[in-house]
Amino acid sequence: MAYVRAAAAAFYVSMRLRFISGFAIMGFLIFPLILAAVGLFVLNRPGTTATQWTYGLLGGGLIGYWGIVYLDAGNGIQVERWNGTLEQIFAVPTPLWVIVLGKALGGLVWGMLSFIPTIALAYFGFHALLPRLDPGPFAISFTLLTFSFLAMALSFSPIFAMWRWAFTMVNGFELGTYVLCGFMFPITILPAWLQAVSGLLPPTWGTRALYAATTAEGSHDFAAWWVTTIVLSFVYIGLSVWLFHLVDRRARATGELALV
Amino acid sequence: MIQLTAFGRSLWLQYVALFQWATIPGYIGYKLILPVAQILFFVEFGVFATGSQNALYFALGNALQLTANAGIFGVIATVANERQFGTLPMLLGSPANRLVTFLSRAIVNVIDGVLSVLLGLVVAAVIFRFDIWHGNLPLLGLCIVVISLTTAGLGLLFGSLGLVMRDAIVVANIIYYGLLITGGINFPVSRLPAALQTVAYALPLTRGVEAAREAVAGASFSQVAGLLAGELAVGVGWAFLGYLVFRAFEGYARRGGLQDAY
Repeated sequence: MAYVRAAAAAFYVSMRLRFISGFAIMGFLIFPLILAAVGLFVLNRPGTTATQWTYGLLGGGLIGYWGIVYLDAGNGIQVERWNGTLEQIFAVPTPLWVIVLGKALGGLVWGMLSFIPTIALAYFGFHALLPRLDPGPFAISFTLLTFSFLAMALSFSPIFAMWRWAFTMVNGFELGTYVLCGFMFPITILPAWLQAVSGLLPPTWGTRALYAATTAEGSHDFAAWWVTTIVLSFVYIGLSVWLFHLVDRRARATGELALV
Repeated sequence: MIQLTAFGRSLWLQYVALFQWATIPGYIGYKLILPVAQILFFVEFGVFATGSQNALYFALGNALQLTANAGIFGVIATVANERQFGTLPMLLGSPANRLVTFLSRAIVNVIDGVLSVLLGLVVAAVIFRFDIWHGNLPLLGLCIVVISLTTAGLGLLFGSLGLVMRDAIVVANIIYYGLLITGGINFPVSRLPAALQTVAYALPLTRGVEAAREAVAGASFSQVAGLLAGELAVGVGWAFLGYLVFRAFEGYARRGGLQDAY
């Protein structure tokens, strides 16, 4: 119960900080809006199919969602370092992962806001509507996609804290992640070797199931995609457990974790 | 000669001291990986949305937009980071010529921008096997230089905001990605609403990208001279406005004691 309270407090404080952060507001409002606008302008031509419109419509939101999760939640430990509060967090009896989990959950909620401006732009700017969804599979797919985002954010958080160059690489490759996860187009158009790489990322399968729930075309192998999302997410969570231990050990052994 | 050497040295020091990416991981992340990822994403999306026959259109547009990586992010960082790193009071207190101080922020970034585009074009040519070698390559080169200059002009204006604003890099992000909409990078400017088309032609990249596309199609200099002249005029206009804003904000920051405000 104490852990739940601690996580809830971390969630609450992180949400309050997001409301006054220019980066956080840009992350959910402006960045996805710009990429959604680019996608919708490209698609705004004769002959665009319903499936393509769906990718344009949901893709901007997914990009914003992912962008916030990996930047905001992924930097859950780093931000404490930048704010000079990392040592205090290590000194409290609550485990580090509980606090990072609370913040990451805040990132997920904040990230979901990305769908509001992008869907509004599609509707008001391009008269594009969400297709007839298969609500059950759509809801399950979205939930599992969210879980996969959480798993990845929890893995990134200790990685970004221990190896600062890792954030630079992931940040530089941000648009590449959209390719590999199939946020704006199906990964089936990628070369086979790239599809194999993208198959290692849990959001790829959640995204695939999500889009399949919006169309009657193509395969609808939901069960396999959901199971793959769950299994891969747990692999990433297992990795994050080990990484959190590593961060904790290093921080206490070297005393250098708070150094910028 | 000594003065030139000193000027060159100060350019370099300014770049490595104030430009956060002047580290090996930073350069790899933002100058090698980002261009590849951006081109890959938009080309694949373009192929999905419009067909594989248009892949070159997307690759070329996004390779050219990479000038904004240096011209917008780079230039804004080299101005705004004076505040971040606590050196703004010294800059404002120095007797240095302000115009030279201001313009020198852009020069290395312009060179960097040209290199970014060349990298982008090579990546596009290798990954997607594009054939741009039959186009007017010297003219394409000129277009790249002109676009790098003009995006840096816009970067100077928004970099000046860093003198009085804490999160100037947020503005850099918005401008950089906003140019994807207005610059004719992934779709023709004619698809924009009329008001946005006016904005697009008041911003860098738009005419330059048009000229570059024509150069790749084999156009001669005389055919794109008007576009390039217009692009240059836009860039000079933004840089001049940036200088005025820089001086105005400099005075404002000094009067308000904002140099150290963070």
